[in-house]
Amino acid sequence: MPDLLLTELRKIQKKDGYISEQAIKKLNKKTGIPLSNIYGTATFYAMLHTTPQGKYIIEICNSPSCFLNNSLNIIKYIENKLKIKSGQTSKDKKFSLHIGSCIGCCDKAPAMLLNKKQYTNLTKEKIDFILKKLK
Amino acid sequence: MRIRVDNKNIEVDSNKSLLLNLKDNGINIPHLCYQEGLEPEARCRICLVEINNKLVTSCNTYPKEGMEIKTKTKRVNRARKINAELLMPEHMDKCFRLNKHHDLCNIIGDLGLKEVRFNPTRKYTADLGASVIRDNNLCINCGRCVQVCAQVQATWAIDFAGRAHHEHVTPYFEHDLNDVACIKCGQCIAACPVGAIDEREHLQEVLAALKDKTKHVVVQTAPSIRASLGEEFDMPPGTLVTGKMIAALRRCGFNKVFDTNLGADMTIMEEGTEFLTRAKNNGPFPMITTCCPGWIKFMEHFYHDLIDSNNMSTCKSPHEMLGILIKTYYAKKAKISKKDIVVVSVMPCTAKKFESTRPEMKSDVDYVLTTREAAKLINHFNIDFKNLKDEEFDPALGISTGAGAVFGATGGVMEAALRTAYEVGTGKQLTKIEFDQLRGMDGIKTGTIIIKGKEIKFAVANGLANARELMKRKDDYHFIEIMACPGGCIGGGGQPLPFAWEKIHKRMAAIYKEDARLPLRKSHENPIVQKIYKEFLDKPLSKKAHKLLHTHYYKRGL
Amino acid sequence: MQIKKQTKGKALAKAKKLGQKATINLIKEKVLLGRGGAGFPTGTKWEMVYNEPEKEKYLICNADEGEPGTFKDKFILEKNPELVIEGIKIAMFAIGAKKAFIYLRGEYEYLENRLKKLIKKANIEIVVGAGAYICGDETAILESIEGKRGQARLKPPFPTVKGLYGKPTAINNVETLANVPLAIYYKDWNPNLRLYSLSGNVTKPGIYELPLGTKLCDLIKLGKPKNKIKAIYFGCFGGCMPHCEKTKLTPDDICGKDCIHGAGTIIAVDEKHSIVDVATNIAKFYEFESCGKCTPCREGTMRILALLENISLKNADMKDLNTLQELAEVIKETSFCGLGQTSTNHLLTALKYFRKEFEERIKEQKDRRRIR
Repeated sequence: MPDLLLTELRKIQKKDGYISEQAIKKLNKKTGIPLSNIYGTATFYAMLHTTPQGKYIIEICNSPSCFLNNSLNIIKYIENKLKIKSGQTSKDKKFSLHIGSCIGCCDKAPAMLLNKKQYTNLTKEKIDFILKKLK
Repeated sequence: MRIRVDNKNIEVDSNKSLLLNLKDNGINIPHLCYQEGLEPEARCRICLVEINNKLVTSCNTYPKEGMEIKTKTKRVNRARKINAELLMPEHMDKCFRLNKHHDLCNIIGDLGLKEVRFNPTRKYTADLGASVIRDNNLCINCGRCVQVCAQVQATWAIDFAGRAHHEHVTPYFEHDLNDVACIKCGQCIAACPVGAIDEREHLQEVLAALKDKTKHVVVQTAPSIRASLGEEFDMPPGTLVTGKMIAALRRCGFNKVFDTNLGADMTIMEEGTEFLTRAKNNGPFPMITTCCPGWIKFMEHFYHDLIDSNNMSTCKSPHEMLGILIKTYYAKKAKISKKDIVVVSVMPCTAKKFESTRPEMKSDVDYVLTTREAAKLINHFNIDFKNLKDEEFDPALGISTGAGAVFGATGGVMEAALRTAYEVGTGKQLTKIEFDQLRGMDGIKTGTIIIKGKEIKFAVANGLANARELMKRKDDYHFIEIMACPGGCIGGGGQPLPFAWEKIHKRMAAIYKEDARLPLRKSHENPIVQKIYKEFLDKPLSKKAHKLLHTHYYKRGL
Repeated sequence: MQIKKQTKGKALAKAKKLGQKATINLIKEKVLLGRGGAGFPTGTKWEMVYNEPEKEKYLICNADEGEPGTFKDKFILEKNPELVIEGIKIAMFAIGAKKAFIYLRGEYEYLENRLKKLIKKANIEIVVGAGAYICGDETAILESIEGKRGQARLKPPFPTVKGLYGKPTAINNVETLANVPLAIYYKDWNPNLRLYSLSGNVTKPGIYELPLGTKLCDLIKLGKPKNKIKAIYFGCFGGCMPHCEKTKLTPDDICGKDCIHGAGTIIAVDEKHSIVDVATNIAKFYEFESCGKCTPCREGTMRILALLENISLKNADMKDLNTLQELAEVIKETSFCGLGQTSTNHLLTALKYFRKEFEERIKEQKDRRRIR
């Protein structure tokens, strides 16, 4: 059974916060999988990043169930609060924001993942509370 | 097996895809991502036909008894047209309907696509590398280059990255090709249906040299050019155009037209002698040929042990050998200063462009033009190629043998080397000089020959995926030839487009025809070769020969 | 709820007593249909893998529940994971697989540890995804586990013949596998009970277990909507239709309205929301989640989003509706895999049932420009 590349990449993402060129080279040495293939896989998945990310990665859902429950306002609120747009990382390297697909919390919309932890039934007050705790 | 196509019965082969079966029956289905010899991936969704009221791609559908296929319905036409339209916005900017080498340009006329409703959106920086350049803005994500690089060349320099409409072809981490283990073989160029990958042209530099009256500009042509250049002037594949090629290059203004086949004969003298020496010393074996710069770079990236164990021959490639001889031997004879000579090589190969920039080659060859660029040059001077009268190479470095000629096809270097190694080694004449086991398109070919009571096992591979296979059992052989491109140089990355196996077969036949036609067919019989050794180099592997005609290799990273 | 019942290893014991063939036949007799959306008979799928002469076989539990508005598999994995693990063990036994994988979507990573504890020493490995809707496709999931870009493979060969690492592979959805022990152990197991994920403009969203054939409006009533419900979306891929009293929750009835019953995803849209905005939102989803492999899906989803954004925010023409329709039809007809083929269902049905809203929006934008 060959090494499970996806699992390896997820480990790196978790440990380093992103998948660096060095990490890909190391993985190539370890597994023999060509560099271009590893990079191809690493760039395919939304939760793997090849650029450095903030300490806290926010993945906020904008699929229909959340959209119908006001997710756009919540997204705008977070964007203004953190002064970053989707795909960006805050200057202090604390937050990265990604607007993404359904995270399966449709019954508690709107919802987001913060470093993979679910936060649901979001309101502006709740966002303030969550982010305050992180500071 | 019989199927019905557009209400007509046709006989089909059930092992072939519908696309190929229809082609055999004169029905051409437009397609972009399918490439002969590779597994269909069905990405482009152009080769659509209608079966049982459903649209299917014909490249990966196989005939079944009683199948009813419609190729011309409104639905089929609309779907093909819209999918082509989706691929057009970027391409339209650059060459709408202009380039006959672009499959995409060729099909849009047939599809009746007159208007493209979408604006270009791609914003990639072009990679303008040393020998292979890429413009991802033109790319249509057909994946042929990725497939060729992985499956034929086993190099994996490029792959898809990103997702959705951000998906794009790239070396890892968006590096330029120059910075990764790309061997510059140019097979991706041959595979590309839209010209998104191309050679780095050196036409302007050559034109400038030709204009410069202080320069003595010399051109040499590789063995395989004479078998393929005609295609660029609408002559049938496999037409030998040696005489016209020489005449045309002279009309471009080159002061001398020399023959790389002579360089090939020199290579054989050096490499054959090197092999005989190894045979005497019992190794190191196998000795591996070094004529192919694609293979050399591949070896430098992936097979460092071959350098450590001295398995690689030290011979330069034929055009580099001739290049240095032009700048030394010929310069002296013609009384021209070395710095006033410009050497241009016409090669079937983009890797040769990289080779000529290697510091250890000291620009013995100044510029390398591909077959395609040579045709552009000839067209630039408005030369009526087809109606030119045949001319001969300049005699100073222009006589060559059939052994040099067969260098253009896979197995040729080995065949030429064995002709000389046997006769020089044994002092006896070969009864049959054609080595049939070395000819043809097989990926790996092997054989044995007895030289002085010793059984010599030899093997030949073309395509680097095959080379990887052969390297696994390299120790079973004494002498190995590797050519990077399918079929050898006749299938090189610098040859006329589009790529087709049929063309390569015909070019191969032409190469062997050239060999049979020549009065001299063994390198050691070449009078100029003998003269060069007598007047200049002394003997093969002499100190001087070593200094000028041999080289060394680097261990490169990935 | 039937799905909350437990079997505590007794179903596995029963299957082992029955033997492989008989277990497969029992599942066939009980008519357990796949719950991932396609509704393929589970017993038949197992039989195909069982019959392959190849010795090495795999079972994959597809827990990559990515369809927006769907959270029933999450519900099962949270409330009754033991049942799923037992279902996996039974399936492995029946088809003769020595190894199984659970492909858990990256968003559900928090479930990994609990599952690991339940697996104990069984040869079941959890592969956690990393955010790709396409990996719910049965061939893309294979590529993803193998560490490649999760793009769909050509079929044939089907995974039951050549699946993971080229070996025969059965791929079953979480809900399917959870029902396996129930079907084997309980005589009164009801094959028609389905889990419906209800969300959108309702005040009581959640998982509802209802028999096939339930009236859609009854389900909506359970959700206690605040405003009048205008449209129902069956996830993103299933398309939409106007909310009416008559529709029954059966694959046939819903298919008759050009929609797909799928995995029981119901998103209710009330009259305060515009279908044009919902369509744009869904188009964004596909533009982001297309895998990029084939032309119509890669390029088409991006063009559809651009056209819809044009209609909803900027300046569009009635002519653009025709382009949209034509593009949507061709994407549906010619895409490589299920993702692309269903990516425009929402739009085609929206244009069929709610075309007026699109036309009005275009007019509105034109008037606004005129006033300026």
